Amino acid sequence: MVSASVAEMGTSMPVWSAYPRHEGLFDEMVELSKSPRQACTNITRTLLSMPPAKLLELCSRAEIMFRRMGVTFNVYGEQRGVERIFPFDPIPRVIDAQTWAELEAGLIQRLRALNAFVGDVYGEGAIMNDGVIPRDLVLSCPQFRRAAVGIKPPLGNFVTVGGIDIVRGADGRFMVLEDNVRTPSGVSYVIENRVVMTRLMPDLIRASQVRSVERYPADLLQSLCEMAPHGNSHPTIALLTPGPFNSAFFEHVFLSQQMGIELVEGQDLVCVDHKLYMKTVHGLSQIDVLYRRVDDDFLDPLVFRPDSMLGVPGLTAVLRAGNAAIANGIGTGVADDKAIYAYTPAMIRYYLGEEAILPIVETYLMRNPEQRETVLRNIERYVIKPVGESGGYGVVIGPHASEKLLEKTREQVLADPDNFIAQSVISLSVHPTMITDSEGVPHLMPRHVDLRPFVLLGAKPRVLPGGLTRVALREGSLVVNSSQGGGSKDTWVLGA
Amino acid sequence: MLRRIADNLFWAARNLERAEWRARLVDVNYHLLIETPPRDSAPWEPLLAIFGEIEQFTEHHSIADESSVLDFFTLDLENPNSIRSCINVARDNLRALRHYVSSEYWLDVNTLYLAAQSWTPEMFVIPGVYTFFSDLKDCFYRISGIRQSTLPRDLAYDFMRLGIMLERAEEVSRMLDVKYHFLMPRLEDIGGAADLLQWAGVLRSASALEAYRKRFGNAIKLDNVIDILLFDPTFPRSARYSIESLEVSLRRIASKGEAPRVIPKGVADLLDDLRLEKAPEAIQSGLHEFLLHVQESCDGISTQIYDQYLKAE
Repeated sequence: MVSASVAEMGTSMPVWSAYPRHEGLFDEMVELSKSPRQACTNITRTLLSMPPAKLLELCSRAEIMFRRMGVTFNVYGEQRGVERIFPFDPIPRVIDAQTWAELEAGLIQRLRALNAFVGDVYGEGAIMNDGVIPRDLVLSCPQFRRAAVGIKPPLGNFVTVGGIDIVRGADGRFMVLEDNVRTPSGVSYVIENRVVMTRLMPDLIRASQVRSVERYPADLLQSLCEMAPHGNSHPTIALLTPGPFNSAFFEHVFLSQQMGIELVEGQDLVCVDHKLYMKTVHGLSQIDVLYRRVDDDFLDPLVFRPDSMLGVPGLTAVLRAGNAAIANGIGTGVADDKAIYAYTPAMIRYYLGEEAILPIVETYLMRNPEQRETVLRNIERYVIKPVGESGGYGVVIGPHASEKLLEKTREQVLADPDNFIAQSVISLSVHPTMITDSEGVPHLMPRHVDLRPFVLLGAKPRVLPGGLTRVALREGSLVVNSSQGGGSKDTWVLGA
Repeated sequence: MLRRIADNLFWAARNLERAEWRARLVDVNYHLLIETPPRDSAPWEPLLAIFGEIEQFTEHHSIADESSVLDFFTLDLENPNSIRSCINVARDNLRALRHYVSSEYWLDVNTLYLAAQSWTPEMFVIPGVYTFFSDLKDCFYRISGIRQSTLPRDLAYDFMRLGIMLERAEEVSRMLDVKYHFLMPRLEDIGGAADLLQWAGVLRSASALEAYRKRFGNAIKLDNVIDILLFDPTFPRSARYSIESLEVSLRRIASKGEAPRVIPKGVADLLDDLRLEKAPEAIQSGLHEFLLHVQESCDGISTQIYDQYLKAE
């Protein structure tokens, strides 16, 4: 527990005396010796030595700001008016300059390879012809879209925006847990978290030389402009949203506002003569690049779900004619499939001739009989994931699961092996996090965190310095998703 | 600008203006009742009648007394025109349109929305009706000031202004009608102390009392009240001023199209009436009828604007 007297004691950090430091878990802020890591000394000295009342006050000020700014997400299946704010932890997560530089190189490498893979899958299929990735595995991906075959986007860019989920194992090494290259979300929280932190603790941010994250919307806009067909240097760009009931609607509003582009819904668009238009008060206006936050299946009722009202009929034909570009491209989900994930190191070698900078978690494909047997023999040691789900749904964590659940999972895997993968359990790194006990007293406790950095691919790659640090607020929980009780922290990448 | 967006902006601004006038009307009616002796068994009914909402009111309330009417006009979410409902509509529309207004404007509307969610009938006791409505009026002044001082004069601004000005012209004529209904039962009271007090109340609730005194001096005369609230070209809440402002915005919108569009005909017709008509003539030929004519013309203009700019093709 933090006590008022800590402040007078300077750097001796008695605050850590009550902070549990477990061996075998990597703590982002605290060494095994319980002294703060080098990059974190500034923060531990000022922030963690605050009296509990002051910390609580920071939290309530943060909450008021988030509500006033309307930084909310909608929860599916709940009534209108239920807009939640993403729980925010005021203790920032710090990444020093050198660590970040390595991570950044790994992220760029990865996004380039994933983009090359998507272009290849819907183009000549060389990686399958050469037998590096089995053809039937690719074609049976739930996110494979036949309609994308033959589409040639400007710059060859299918993946303009990638959100790569990164975790740190017990040895502190960064690993890729999951790729998100369909419509990754969360970047608005990164920017708004910083806005709030800058108001709460301006001096600390300045003193720590934290790198700014506010360039992201400009970088995204630039990347989208670079994708304009026919080399148009002043393209019209719009953001397509499913509408106010989508869980990420706030982000759609935020990004369109920051980029100064129209936020459109399917009903605002129309395709005429293989060109895409929006309906304005003064007639039709042509769109050159569409940043879409609507899933493939709802994008074009002529090609995908015929009952969808969220998309625009004829869009696929417009793309095929080369009269508009779309980000991300149709069918990019084939690259973030959980089974394809196992082949990403091979993919990087194949397209870039490089070894992967960021390792992946050891992954077993349940469609492979030998791997399946190995896993099912000791199912309690693995994490079992359905390949087609996202948002943490359907994931079974072996060591935490009941006998009954494990048995049920085993049956599901045997019944439909193509639909599952297994991974070794990663003991995610932990970070000091403010937890309020039942009497309202704040304590610092270690909680598991991950990191979702955002990478852009236009004419060149651009990486947001930082990312969304998600924290599992429940003790021992490894699930950081906002839909399942996760919160977030500001992520500070320090200047060199 | 997208048709859907223009439509949402129009209605967001219009709902805020409506909420502001509801607050003004309920406020003025409440204070008229306090200052005049009780003589009517159902003193709140004129207010309901003006809004054509008696039927809707009686669906949920048995008697029209102070607390039920305050609740109906202020808090009731079943009433789509209650102050809270109007604020909710405006905020829900703006939530998707932050991009078209300034963040200061959005923040202030959202703050009012958040406050409105925790309103309860107890507020009419503590802090009391007067404080509640005067605080609320301040909120609307602030929102309006932010709009005028932070928004560029682009299409978004003009479509919002269309909504505001139409609503304002309609509401000012409604407010005169409230007083008119008070006036009707007892012709012999006209010009009496209570009557003048009521007219002063009407002026005050339109924030027109000071402007009135500057122009006409201390004595309150019916002709002059009508003059300043309907026909004055300089007072910013008069019907004439509102419709002239509306015309300016319509011209600006039309000029931005590739093929310039015509201004809806209803605008010129209504302006002709508001520019030529003089207060004595309006009263002579039936004030209620004239006010009704203003309201119907506004409805007509609204429909024409919708067909021309807002309807999805």
